[in-house]
Amino acid sequence: MDMKRDYYEDVQLFSSGVVVFWFVLLMIGLALFPLFVKNYYVYMANYMVINIIVAVGLNLLVGYTGQISLGHSGFFAIGAYGTVVFMSEAHFPFLLALIAAGLAAALFGFLLGIPALRLEGPYLSIATLGFGLTITQVIGRANIFGGRQGLHTPELYIGPWHLNSDVDFYYLLIVITLILVLAGRNMVKTKVGRAFIAIRDADIAAETIGVNLTCYKTLAFAVSAFYAGIGGGLYAFVLRFIEPEMFGLMMSIIFLAMVVVGGLGSIFGAIAGACLLSWLDLELRNILSIPYVGQWLEALSKSYFSITGVSNIQFIIYGLIMVLIMLFEPLGIYGFWIRTKIYWRTWPF
Amino acid sequence: MKMKRFLVGFSAVVLVLGMAFAVNAEEGVTDTEIHIGQWGPQTGPAAPWGSVARGTDAYFKMINAEGGIHGRKLIHHMFDDSYNPAKTKAGVKELQEGIGMFAWVSGVGTACGLSVVDYLMQRKIPWVGPSAGSLHWINPPREYLFAVYPLYYIEAKALTRYAAEKLGKKRIAIAYQNDDYGKNGVKGVAEVLEKLGMELVAKVPVEKADMDMKPHVMQLKKAKADAVLLWVTPTHAVRIVGTSRAMQFTPQWLSTSTCSDFPLMYKISKGLWEGVIAATFGELPDADCPLLQKYKKDAYGKFAAKNERWGLFFYAGILFSEPLVEGIKRCGKDLTRERLVREMEKIKDFKGIGGRISYAPFDPAQGYECRQGQKEVFLVKCLKNGRYEKLTDWMEIR
Repeated sequence: MDMKRDYYEDVQLFSSGVVVFWFVLLMIGLALFPLFVKNYYVYMANYMVINIIVAVGLNLLVGYTGQISLGHSGFFAIGAYGTVVFMSEAHFPFLLALIAAGLAAALFGFLLGIPALRLEGPYLSIATLGFGLTITQVIGRANIFGGRQGLHTPELYIGPWHLNSDVDFYYLLIVITLILVLAGRNMVKTKVGRAFIAIRDADIAAETIGVNLTCYKTLAFAVSAFYAGIGGGLYAFVLRFIEPEMFGLMMSIIFLAMVVVGGLGSIFGAIAGACLLSWLDLELRNILSIPYVGQWLEALSKSYFSITGVSNIQFIIYGLIMVLIMLFEPLGIYGFWIRTKIYWRTWPF
Repeated sequence: MKMKRFLVGFSAVVLVLGMAFAVNAEEGVTDTEIHIGQWGPQTGPAAPWGSVARGTDAYFKMINAEGGIHGRKLIHHMFDDSYNPAKTKAGVKELQEGIGMFAWVSGVGTACGLSVVDYLMQRKIPWVGPSAGSLHWINPPREYLFAVYPLYYIEAKALTRYAAEKLGKKRIAIAYQNDDYGKNGVKGVAEVLEKLGMELVAKVPVEKADMDMKPHVMQLKKAKADAVLLWVTPTHAVRIVGTSRAMQFTPQWLSTSTCSDFPLMYKISKGLWEGVIAATFGELPDADCPLLQKYKKDAYGKFAAKNERWGLFFYAGILFSEPLVEGIKRCGKDLTRERLVREMEKIKDFKGIGGRISYAPFDPAQGYECRQGQKEVFLVKCLKNGRYEKLTDWMEIR
């Protein structure tokens, strides 16, 4: 079973050979994926992968440290604008600009972490919400960020390679995501992660046993913001155009929903939540083209929800799926995974 | 000799067959169908503009009911992007790479459009009539992008000239949204006033998140403005007019075409919109223009949803698509994207339900001339119950 015999067994990235096998298989699958699907699905994968980065980062804060943030779209915006501006104004190469923008977001995360020392629950959520809303206003007023008109991203070069298509960008994204997810997993398995968890479970108790609350709470904010910043920098290049209005409150709420629906306090959950909600976000509108069901839903929408029935129904279903997951599985998709695993382990008994 | 003749004949046959194959191979066109895509918010903050896409849909259905264009039906693929550029890009790619659109039409939202413009242009896919009067579409001009909506900058010029010359206003001010849209307005006003030797007495920026309009109105009042241009969203415009009324400040209000749906504005302002002058880019809803009446009867009457309102946004969806339909008609049976672009470039003084539309052969240095179709607007005044009074005829402003 999952019995750990020593410390190093607990902190290792892959707990067994079986996990390594599946991981390698997944990597091969991801590498071959663009060869077998239409370009649109590669775009969708890029969108998903960026959400995975943000969700994994946000989960370090919400799921592991027990802090809440409704301002992650702000860090995301700092990452997006930072990357573009570092490239176009300071002429940084892409990867350096991306890391610099991630660090800039982390700095803001650190600063936002300071009031978090005194705030909890709903109070903290309002403080972070205020940050998220303010940052887009500030960006919108500054000419260096293109004001309200927004910015086009420069052409993307990494060394001699010109990344001009979704497929090129996909491979870059997969590598960056892999590094960040493994780093996140490593972090939660080691001292820092245990400190985060201790703060989440009982911060006073954690302090009494020597966890420096100031240090670890602000660190959790900074790390989480760094992830969001990196996600934002990559998002700018998926869309190739950014403007302040894109980074609204709704974006922060969806990020939080990904973490909660996926399963708090689990890297796997964050990944699953990001994948599910990104997929629903982009694909649910096609629900109306399902034979019979689609027509029935359209008629239902026309009768009660909108005059054209074009799309309200997709939002209702989107909300309904989230409510049902929370109702029947409070641990989110991660909970389903655990139950399925246990079921198969004891099958057929 | 015989051999040579044979070779010439053979080459000619190959060439013709090759061309025929190329024609058949044009993406989004079959012998019986032409696939055209469009995005538009049906949900989210910009949902009221969703009627643009629904207007286009009804228009295409009307054309199909009348037999289509050269035997081909227009298949309209519209999708909801909730005014979110990530979704716009996803939807455009999905339709383009899944079904294959011949061309794209209209499309609400500057940011939404800008997130896909490079994608469409790199693939040389024509896009006609983005639903925003932004300079982005013609600056820089792009060979496959044809703008229809007259620039907000032109509207500002027309209104300022009218206020100064016809109404004899001496102290003109502007309240503008702090973005591309608002700044276009400021630019237009400033240029006209400079020519007339007058000065802009106040320019008050309004942020989208601003709720309380008192500080803005106070600035306008302090400047003793006797005419104020409103280059803001309809909601902000109504708030500004309402706050001013409460503060007993009543200049002549002038507004952009985005606030020219008078029945709607009158209703949401609870009657305060009466007396406001606005620029408009399309015929009035009750105008006795035969073409507009035909659309009302055959497109709106037969194909619009039961509760749809015959308003400016709805038939703007028709207005923005008219040049594309005209271009497709001019191509005849031989429809390719290249041919469409060449035929669209030949459109001169085309008159639909908007102002006259002209394009010219592509010239990167002459974006306004070659890719900005409509250059005309006219001015209207809001009367009681949101009725319209036409103040001027169509006028071309440069």
